[in-house]
Amino acid sequence: MDIKTEQFVQVAEEELKNERTRLFLSLLPPAVSQRRQAAMSTFSDPKAAMSYCASVRGAAVDNLPDLLEEFEKNATANGAKVIWARDAAEANEFVVQKAREKGVSYVTKGKSMVTEELGLNPVLEQNGIEAFETDLGEYIAQQLKRPPFHIVGPAINVPPEEIRDLFMDIGILEKATADPVELGLAARIYLRDKFHHLKMGITGINMAIADTGSIINVENEGNIRFTKAAPQTQISIMSIEKVIPSIKDAMFQVRLLCRSCTGQKISSYVTIDNGPKKNDEIDGPEELYIVIVDNGRSAKYHDLLAREALRCFRCGACLNICPVYTTVGGYPYGWAYSGPMGQVLNPMLLGQERTQDLYRASTLCGACKEVCPTGVNHPKIFRYYRSKDVDGDTEFGGKPRPLMESIIYKFWLQGVTNSWSWKLGARLARPLLNNAIKNGWLRKKIKPLDNWLQARDLPLFPKKTFRDRWKDLRDRS
Amino acid sequence: MKDVSLFIPCIVDLLLPEVGEATVAVLRKLGQNPIYHPDQTCCGEPAINSGYQHHAIQAAKHFIEIFENDEAIVCPAGSCVNTVKNHYPELLAGDDDWVKRAESVGSRVYELSQFIVDVMGLDAVDATYQGKVAFHRSCQQLRGLGVSEQPERLIRAVKGVEAIPLIGADVCCGFGGLFSVDYASISEAIVKNKTDNFINSEADILVTCDPGCLTNINGYLSRNHPGKKAVHIANLLAGI
Ligand code: SF4
Repeated sequence: MDIKTEQFVQVAEEELKNERTRLFLSLLPPAVSQRRQAAMSTFSDPKAAMSYCASVRGAAVDNLPDLLEEFEKNATANGAKVIWARDAAEANEFVVQKAREKGVSYVTKGKSMVTEELGLNPVLEQNGIEAFETDLGEYIAQQLKRPPFHIVGPAINVPPEEIRDLFMDIGILEKATADPVELGLAARIYLRDKFHHLKMGITGINMAIADTGSIINVENEGNIRFTKAAPQTQISIMSIEKVIPSIKDAMFQVRLLCRSCTGQKISSYVTIDNGPKKNDEIDGPEELYIVIVDNGRSAKYHDLLAREALRCFRCGACLNICPVYTTVGGYPYGWAYSGPMGQVLNPMLLGQERTQDLYRASTLCGACKEVCPTGVNHPKIFRYYRSKDVDGDTEFGGKPRPLMESIIYKFWLQGVTNSWSWKLGARLARPLLNNAIKNGWLRKKIKPLDNWLQARDLPLFPKKTFRDRWKDLRDRS
Repeated sequence: MKDVSLFIPCIVDLLLPEVGEATVAVLRKLGQNPIYHPDQTCCGEPAINSGYQHHAIQAAKHFIEIFENDEAIVCPAGSCVNTVKNHYPELLAGDDDWVKRAESVGSRVYELSQFIVDVMGLDAVDATYQGKVAFHRSCQQLRGLGVSEQPERLIRAVKGVEAIPLIGADVCCGFGGLFSVDYASISEAIVKNKTDNFINSEADILVTCDPGCLTNINGYLSRNHPGKKAVHIANLLAGI
């Protein structure tokens, strides 16, 4: 998938003008948030459930190296083959090579964020292997060549009329209709056929269980189940943080994941695979490859705060509640992961240089942190990344701040520790700012002020500050 | 009369001194004796949020030195209280002595409504306002300090007030300090949402405990809905 994180501002401006996006955002995220809340309240103590889940995630992330080894051992004992991929290129290379080996002309895919991260589909295509996304929303997004708009509903913002035209174009709809049920049926009939005689299916993994070597997928459409059951060769791909100690942890995690994601107590399908088809079994894939992808994670693992981002299990709750996401939607974030989830993950995986807008375009309101069932403290991580810019951190590739800003903060520091220079600064700045508020030409020279005044007013700075008024106030008592 | 130390945030000092005056008036009405250390400047929140941690450390130490001998410190801004209480210890981590001092000051800093309800044990301030009032729950006050019930109780107790529920009362107003100027278009769209909800609620005024939200919301109202206004809780309670 192309990385367009640097175009955040530009795409956000476009999306702000997109009526369809605005309408959609005003309806769906609040509705899903409400469902989430209702579902959470079915816990006798929702807060306790969340903090337990957060501690399970935290402990798993802290023990990643051991858990991964344990998982590999047990998955291998089940008959799966575990492949380690250092980066996207290695993971994609493995899939392509396997597909070639098996003489595969097409694969089906279950919706998976990690393969978006790896940019697997374009690589498959370049190698002459067709990839069929089999999740309805993902299929539509793929056909439209658009990134996912929302982690749970990748094409949820696309109107049925556009889908009708798309389906007519690719020839899977006989009679033009914008009826969502008919559209869903057309895709279903078309995609169902791909599962017959399927040679290779590719899925992501929601959870990998260390002590049993099993993998779990959580979904609502059943297409992942098909993609895992129908092919001769199954390839399931996970990033390193998906591993957790036991099935007990997994079952608890599912309760939080589904509630936070779609407001369900449990999704329609939760499938657990223990390796490929055994000798005495009649169906199932003959081979199961589990690809474990690092892609930049372990390099940042030593950083205890950045590491927190690895707790995320991609429920999407933080997107639905974020004032910025619910204003601009998923496209501006420019990569597989959008909203607060992407704002903490993308800088870690892509480096800060091209993701600066992501962790700066936040009001730090903390709504994300409040709903996050895995205990990610987004605002704290944003502030941390921001400080790396200022400190010129090289590991994360902190991007230097504008010179003007550093100068302003130099003066600010002068004033903040010395009330005389603070007062003097205020006295000097006041006429300048007040003139600029009134005078358009001068205002253009002070960009922050100009930006503010674009759609908002600002009162004039009063002649007497509170400090100046205090003497009178005190004597009046 | 008990001394109460005034923590007047920079934005109140420079731009909204009437909020500071109202804070003084409310405290006096309640029989407190507000005192003011003129050496105070800014708590450092803008620097922390922009990533200038080392600058912010200087601001934090300056603040602690000025306020650490006061018994009760009261501030008409939830976000600044949150900075002192929750960010100072984080900022100074690694220097045990300073962390202790920060935590000690932090335990004595209160947002105005929090002070009135939690420390003074009051449910009401003697005040009158004839009209419908909606309340905006400022983010740092709500999620950082966990304070929301206190101001709402005080507002409901004002004579003549009809409290009106606000849709999305706990959704951010889009200010976010520098966010509002670095990402102005997004910020505008968020504050528009907030003011639309306020206008649709048919409340006469929108009350908030945070001068940042106040400046943002009023900036948008003044441009787009002249005549409609957000009001700081101190001004509502002081009647000025
Ligand atoms: S960061 Fe967001 S998507 Fe990830 S677990 Fe937390 S709320 Fe869910």
